[in-house]
Amino acid sequence: MQGTHESDETTSNEDAGELDPREAARLLDEASRHARRQFSLSPPWITVFGAVVVLVAYGALWLSTRGQDPYTGPSLGAIALVYAAVAVSVAVSVKVYRRATAGVRGPTRRQQTVEGVAILISYLGSAVIQGAMKHHGASDAIVYGVIPAAGPLIIVGTTVAGIAGSKSDWPQFGAALGVVTGGIVAAFVGPSAAWLAAGIGLFVAVVGYAAATAWLDRRVPQHA
Amino acid sequence: MTADALDPVIHAPARLRIVVTLAALPDGDSLSFTRLQDVLELTPGNLITHLRKLEDAGYLVTDTTGNGRASRTSIALTREGRAAFGRYSEALRALLGSA
Repeated sequence: MQGTHESDETTSNEDAGELDPREAARLLDEASRHARRQFSLSPPWITVFGAVVVLVAYGALWLSTRGQDPYTGPSLGAIALVYAAVAVSVAVSVKVYRRATAGVRGPTRRQQTVEGVAILISYLGSAVIQGAMKHHGASDAIVYGVIPAAGPLIIVGTTVAGIAGSKSDWPQFGAALGVVTGGIVAAFVGPSAAWLAAGIGLFVAVVGYAAATAWLDRRVPQHA
Repeated sequence: MTADALDPVIHAPARLRIVVTLAALPDGDSLSFTRLQDVLELTPGNLITHLRKLEDAGYLVTDTTGNGRASRTSIALTREGRAAFGRYSEALRALLGSA
């Protein structure tokens, strides 16, 4: 076994002392919460941060297209802001993922990789539909408004709902359905307002997910 | 019900924290010795001693790969360990409920 082989004095003394059942219950809950925080891939603070980034990015897209007649699509500045926001989100997510999975081995990591690939493919599916629409002569309002705003939410949201449902992760399942609903609303409110509807839908769903997980973390001890 | 109903192998602060931490991982996953030590903030000697007690009871398995400084030890709860933790939690709840 790794490490030194000396035994601390505390070790030999520990078994001799009585551990009060109430103290044991407190220790169990505290250790459960600590462990969940250590291994969590989506801690509430990072989830809320992601929601704010999403709101800013979609808000910029909406502001850059608001009042366009005819609709031509988001400005390059807004698109650059979105890419910057995505880059920051990805960097933070990778850091959180590495920290959470450091030293962890087993089937869960492989499963997470498969899930990540499935989500990436479904996101690319939305881009394929956008390209096909352009190819078949759809208007800019559809190609640069409705499809890129609503498509990823509906397609990726459905994929995530399927993954969450298969794992009985009901907070994530509910959030994914919220994202899909936001995408459906965005599909019918017009090309510019689609960005706003998508941004608000994503923000509400993600903040709701963070609140639900934080509440469950406080309310449900792991041993219950 | 009395405190005697609590599994003495688990009913010690350090071992309880070890079992709880490993139980937080999905079934089948293992954790490296260094990460477990980091999470629990225990000295290597202390951790090794408690891991041995849990391993002797059949509650966890350790797997060491490599040699010397490059060696890596992974630790995972066994099915028996998970079941024992479940029984311990139930017994603890029953004990506190009847108190």
